[in-house]
Amino acid sequence: MNLPFDVSRLKASAAAMKDSIAKGAEELKQQGFDKKVHDFWYGKPHGERRLGDLYAGKTGLYKHREWRGVKDTMYYFYMIWLYNYITMVMDLMKYGGLVNFAKGVWRYRWVGQTYLPVLHWFDRGLEGLRGPALAASAWHYRGMVNSTIKQFQRMFEADTRLHGGEKNEAYWHTIAHNETVWGGVFYPWSDKFANVALEMIPYFVTCHVNSHTVLNYIDAVQSIGLPGDPCPMCQAEAGIFVQDDVPDYAPFAIICNEACDASVATSNLQDWFFDKPIYALPMPMLFDDPLVKKHCMAEIRQMWKFIEDQTGVPFNYEQLVKKLKLQNELQEFEWEKWDVAANTESYPINGVAQALYRIYQSQYGDNDIWHFCDKKVRKIMEKAVERKTKTFPNTRHRVIAWSCAPLYYSNWCTWAYNCWGLNVIINMDSLMFNMTIRTDNLENTVEDMAQYHMWAPMRRMAVGGMKHMFELWEYMEKFNCDMVAMYDQLQCKGVQGLHGLFEDEFRDRDIKAFWIPHALPDSRTVSRAEIRRLINDYMTTVMHEEPLDPSLLEFDDSMTW
Amino acid sequence: MKKLLCKGLGKLLKIFLLANIALFVVFFFDLDGKLMFYVVEPFLKKHYDNMERKDTMKSPYDIDKFPKYEYDE
Repeated sequence: MNLPFDVSRLKASAAAMKDSIAKGAEELKQQGFDKKVHDFWYGKPHGERRLGDLYAGKTGLYKHREWRGVKDTMYYFYMIWLYNYITMVMDLMKYGGLVNFAKGVWRYRWVGQTYLPVLHWFDRGLEGLRGPALAASAWHYRGMVNSTIKQFQRMFEADTRLHGGEKNEAYWHTIAHNETVWGGVFYPWSDKFANVALEMIPYFVTCHVNSHTVLNYIDAVQSIGLPGDPCPMCQAEAGIFVQDDVPDYAPFAIICNEACDASVATSNLQDWFFDKPIYALPMPMLFDDPLVKKHCMAEIRQMWKFIEDQTGVPFNYEQLVKKLKLQNELQEFEWEKWDVAANTESYPINGVAQALYRIYQSQYGDNDIWHFCDKKVRKIMEKAVERKTKTFPNTRHRVIAWSCAPLYYSNWCTWAYNCWGLNVIINMDSLMFNMTIRTDNLENTVEDMAQYHMWAPMRRMAVGGMKHMFELWEYMEKFNCDMVAMYDQLQCKGVQGLHGLFEDEFRDRDIKAFWIPHALPDSRTVSRAEIRRLINDYMTTVMHEEPLDPSLLEFDDSMTW
Repeated sequence: MKKLLCKGLGKLLKIFLLANIALFVVFFFDLDGKLMFYVVEPFLKKHYDNMERKDTMKSPYDIDKFPKYEYDE
């Protein structure tokens, strides 16, 4: 039969094709296997991770935790997850015991609902991190956990409600104060007394760990007729008292106006419900003024007299100096960290760990755990710098975050790096207490302490006047940042007034900036998903960029802690 | 004696390995998170919601209860 083509050729060509396909398949199989082994050993490269696929429904729980490669997964398992579970139990036993803790959990919503799932707080903040960035950031979390346990355990140990109304030794040796009163003003008594803020642990830290708890307290204060539009932080701080959820752990308290009118109202409610001798330490609304500083110095001295009166224990200058020197050491290391953050690509601390640890540490004051963690972080950081490790290798933009952050989504910067390569280098809260305190004589010491007190959170760069708000430009340059994440606390009347001025400045200076509206602790006003949507819009429509991990663009985490 | 010691050590090693594997399973599949989210938190929330609380609004506001602390220099 005559065929229009050569059969033998066709056969040969079919055989060649078959061989070629088999070879290709073999190669592909081989490559796939190698890739799988590579991904197992080193973890998937940034663009292939699809971290969003790990979430289970709306809960924010993980179908499984991220596989970060053998080394980093094992580091996370042993040195973060297991280590922190074990050290938490040890901390509980060390500071007051497990029985006190159990009683506290049963009595107070803010501890039971919030702090039991604390390891998920680590997970959310440390998603996607590798190597030195994972290790150093986790040490920051460890510091905060230890300090939190130490404080709530002290509350429970001293709490008359948990001990049949008995006012024990711990009760008489604890000083209560507002969370914006810097712990350093109590250093002169720190060898005999513990100081525990009224709201730091029942309110502030809870918002980061479990954003749902605080909603009970916001609703509680509104249920007694207060309007819903003042700062929700002040509402929540008062709401804890309305719900009768503050331990009775100290014989007197030092309160403060926290630099805003709503906080003054909170103090009135606290005075009513706490029902104890109170000293109101003012935070002056004007503070770049030598006369105001003198007034503030006098107020601190008067507060010390009040503490002497209440405790019967005299002011101890040597103890004050000893503790201030230790605090200055912390500040000096912080400056070293900033130097690395500003001038290298080896800074191993991510945005959320940097912000939370720093505000916690600088506001609480000296504490053994800060020194312990700083030592660990120094070792990691020095190694990273020496080896020139790129700790955040997929950085597309170096971001400075300004104004007050959303407490319920402080880990937005972890998401922003994973999704868009936005690396938050530094933030306003870290930069507020940019000073050491002189210890050469009492006059200089008190002068610097007054300065420190006046540079309080939500104060210097939030409602502290345009000069301080606009320190942004200076720090942006210093930290080599090319983008601004501008927080917009919708219920802070002070900062709201400056929104337009910032817009003008961004335009005039040709600065890339996006806004993050929020209501501090209240996740119902602007949801996390809405914050992500706004950043996504900015990155696509203004920056014309593609996401590094498209699975993180949109997901529902409305029920997440 | 040596055999017994080896046996004991082997048993310990086995327990250690099994505990590690079990803990890793809990860690990797986020079983601790799931337990907290689906069991512990709802149980505690129910408890807190049903707790009897003092009506703080009925507390008198004794503004003159304590002396005026004045330390003017």
